[in-house]
Amino acid sequence: MTPPPDNGAYMIAAYAITGVILLVYGWSLWRRGAAAMKDDSAPH
Amino acid sequence: MSNLEQARALVKRGQVMTVIAVTAIALCAVRALLFTPVERFQGPAQKIFYLHVPAAWSAFLAFGLVGIVSGLYLWLDDRRLDLFAEASAETGTILTAIVLITGPIWGKPIWGAWWVWDARLTSTLFLFFIFIGYHSLRAAVHDPQDRARFSAVLGILGAMLIPFIHLTVYLFRTQHPMPVVARPEGPTLPGVMLLTLLLSLGAFTLLYLGWTTLRYGIGRVREAREELHDATA
Repeated sequence: MTPPPDNGAYMIAAYAITGVILLVYGWSLWRRGAAAMKDDSAPH
Repeated sequence: MSNLEQARALVKRGQVMTVIAVTAIALCAVRALLFTPVERFQGPAQKIFYLHVPAAWSAFLAFGLVGIVSGLYLWLDDRRLDLFAEASAETGTILTAIVLITGPIWGKPIWGAWWVWDARLTSTLFLFFIFIGYHSLRAAVHDPQDRARFSAVLGILGAMLIPFIHLTVYLFRTQHPMPVVARPEGPTLPGVMLLTLLLSLGAFTLLYLGWTTLRYGIGRVREAREELHDATA
């Protein structure tokens, strides 16, 4: 039986890039959320 | 509860859902990479399927809801519907970027090309461009009423592409494969692969809900602060 092709580098690249996108956008959204939670009346 | 408190509760809820969703996606990735068998003909690259398909599903959910909510906005003229459409469109755009990046990385080892101009790929790229235009429009129009009305029309037009994108593999000769799950005869995947896909679909759907709730809450806080500012000015 022919073994499966050796293309694991593509798989790793796809998972790594997706992880980076999720973390970068997630972090940006998280910071905007944290800014929205700050009390306007609190001293700056 | 004041508008500002309600909005902040949404932000908090969105943050909690996002943490759960990101954890679930990480666990699904571990399951896909380590505990799901390698497909015999495509090799490990086939495992990109467990990212690509759930990202596409949640992106279409996001843009579909933009279309529905935008229609409701034009009918009911409720600012909250416009803010929800804005949030859902932003999430959908990020998820479509994931689809458009993981697709070529999967295509290269299997098709021998990063990109082919077939109907499925091209129409998905157009959908992405429409929503880049949607965000640009929102940034360019300063009057809130005009911004909401113009972007609602564009949101509806963008969402109308989604059924067409789904049908492209039936209407045209495409390089893109036919569905292996959403088909009238039932899924063709082996059980263990199907379970990994379904778990990943659930995790990405939760991510969509978390990000959109968080982004919607941020929009509501912005509006509530503007209302308070106007009231005290």
